Amino acid sequence: MEFVDLAALTVHGVKNRLAILAARAEARGDRETLRDALEAAATLSRLLACYKAEKGQLTADIEACTPADLVAELVAEVRQQTALTISAELESAPELWFYDEHLIRMVIRDAIYNALRYARREVIIAARTRAGWLDLGVRDDGPGYPPQILARAAGSWPLSREGTGLGLYLADRVAALHCNGERHGRVELANSGGAAFHLLLPE
Amino acid sequence: MRAHMAQQTPYSDKRFLILDDQAEMRSSLRSQVGSLGCEQVTTAASVRDALQKLSVGSVDVILCDFYLGGGTDGQQFLEYLRTRRIIGRGVLFIMVTAEKGYESVVTAAECLPDDYLLKPFTADALRQRLERLLERKRRLARIDQLQDAGNWIGAASACDEIIAARDRYLVDALRIKGNALVQARQADNAIAFYRQVLSMRPLPWAKLGLARALQQQGSAEAAKQVLGELIDAAPKLTAAYDLLGKLHQDSGNTDAAIEILDKACRVAPNSLARQRSIAAVAEQKGDFARVEQALGQVIRKTRHSPLRETADFARLGNAYCEMGEAGKAVDLLEEARATGKEAAADPLLAAVEAIAQKKAGNAEKAAAALERALQADPAALTDDAALNLARACLLAGRQDSAQGILRRLVQGNPEAKQLHERITAVLRDNGAPDLAEQLVAESIREIVQLNNEAVRRAKAGDVAAAGEMLCEAAHRLPTNLQIMANAALVVYLDIFRNGLDSEKLRSAQAFQQAVQAQQPNHPKLAEIAALVEQVRSKYARSD
Repeated sequence: MEFVDLAALTVHGVKNRLAILAARAEARGDRETLRDALEAAATLSRLLACYKAEKGQLTADIEACTPADLVAELVAEVRQQTALTISAELESAPELWFYDEHLIRMVIRDAIYNALRYARREVIIAARTRAGWLDLGVRDDGPGYPPQILARAAGSWPLSREGTGLGLYLADRVAALHCNGERHGRVELANSGGAAFHLLLPE
Repeated sequence: MRAHMAQQTPYSDKRFLILDDQAEMRSSLRSQVGSLGCEQVTTAASVRDALQKLSVGSVDVILCDFYLGGGTDGQQFLEYLRTRRIIGRGVLFIMVTAEKGYESVVTAAECLPDDYLLKPFTADALRQRLERLLERKRRLARIDQLQDAGNWIGAASACDEIIAARDRYLVDALRIKGNALVQARQADNAIAFYRQVLSMRPLPWAKLGLARALQQQGSAEAAKQVLGELIDAAPKLTAAYDLLGKLHQDSGNTDAAIEILDKACRVAPNSLARQRSIAAVAEQKGDFARVEQALGQVIRKTRHSPLRETADFARLGNAYCEMGEAGKAVDLLEEARATGKEAAADPLLAAVEAIAQKKAGNAEKAAAALERALQADPAALTDDAALNLARACLLAGRQDSAQGILRRLVQGNPEAKQLHERITAVLRDNGAPDLAEQLVAESIREIVQLNNEAVRRAKAGDVAAAGEMLCEAAHRLPTNLQIMANAALVVYLDIFRNGLDSEKLRSAQAFQQAVQAQQPNHPKLAEIAALVEQVRSKYARSD
């Protein structure tokens, strides 16, 4: 058995345990444990996805999806895990867009967990169209990205202990898998009243 | 009052089936579903258990874990449900899995779950997803019913309504419409439709649909080219490999067919359907070791499960015989026969057993097996069953019975050149080389003569006699659509000219419907429909 198969089986087993833990925590309204369980599972997914990206095995199943549903589901999921205000901005969200729902959900969820660590009061998740692009944004009201992250060259994220760098590395890879003709998806980071993460996907 | 309010959700009246082999996961899922106010929840620990529960009462939502233990998985279960039509399209099937990507390889659209739910998830997330998916089912309900009823033309036009609305179900409707056009055998329309979709966006399912439509149109080379491009662009879409394998097999290139199916196995190693396809190609090629390898896997996984198929045992038994291991074949076939009534009455299994018993030197058991096989309704035999039954008859020295079976097979499928070659080979390889030379041509001549004679009599005015001839042939050869269509025409004409007769009307309708079901674009259908209209207005007026 290859290590990756063993890893996949192990991840499967651990996620089953985490699923039971999360269900129990949710049933008794235990926000902290729920967040720990779900975030741990997200970390495992990211690890496997990064491995696949390294091996050139990460591929995107591009299908028609509804960005507003994705954001609404993530907002509802995260609200159960934190006392911060989590809100959605969907006024200019398109009805349909083409992307790999699973990969994009993983990237945005990572960005949200990152925002939760730094936000003071609120995190805003937005979906909108911007001149032929879908802009999926996660903003917080924290101290913003440190300069070394903003000054980065794509694909060379400095790794932090919390896994921020790994998340951004994966976001880059996933964005690049979404292309239409010459236009490739990309990640944009900015500081405007906090950190602003944007994943841009071409029409 | 509060409790009553809590019931007013779009899903609280839905009946759930939860299938997971792990008790803890089952109860966790059950309490999550319960917390949403759903009270009608059944759980199952195995495929057998789930099928039993489904046979007792229908459900609205199935939550199925991907890993079911014992070599079976949720995808195999879903394929079984869909191919046996155990659940309609209105039933929501959600696959629960820890990681998407390892297991969710794209199979035929018919066998895709409605959604994947990734563990771990909260009850709240499940609620949101259910609301969304049930809303989609509601929007597509009429289209689902039309598809379940096999009314593909109706389904395609029902899609147009949603396509015109251009809402979030647009792409669902496009996808269903394309498939409906292919199912209705409107190849030209389907090709134009898929090309139009592809001009907007190179969607893999649309490319696959285009290849299917091209195959149907008879443009096998163009279909192969489209599939080659598709596999490069979307290497996980295993349905593309399956179709390409089928195209290679149909053009007689069995090596290329096996090569492409092997490639698909590397992408998705657990598909039973694919191992069965490999076995079919290997059998055609005469590579029985490969048949053993493929079906050995299938049988190991399904032996004690309801996913077991009698045909797998028959095919593997035949491969053992061909490899000179008649004893092994006998053991396997006897085991299969003992699994139940369905298997015991299966003519293919009995025919292969007759051959194996004969080769193993058990004359009495061989004769008994052959008798069992010959009890089946000859008009209902599959091609494989008929061919093997003919072989068994030839081995037993019953050349007349063999001839009768093969004649009927040719006459039921007068255009099927590959089948004709197989029939010729059966005769040649089993001690009747002189018959091999002429049986196919003679049988075709016979049925053409019958048809022409009936048409001649009808034109001469004796529609009743023509109708009798064609009805007899149509009952005997239910797959010969030319005979079926002519029988419908002549019987309707008889009714039109000679008076309403309820028995004749019933048989004419049955023939017409059989043609409609097997080939919705059959050229004679329009003529039949026009005649039906004439019959209707004539007798409606006289009422």
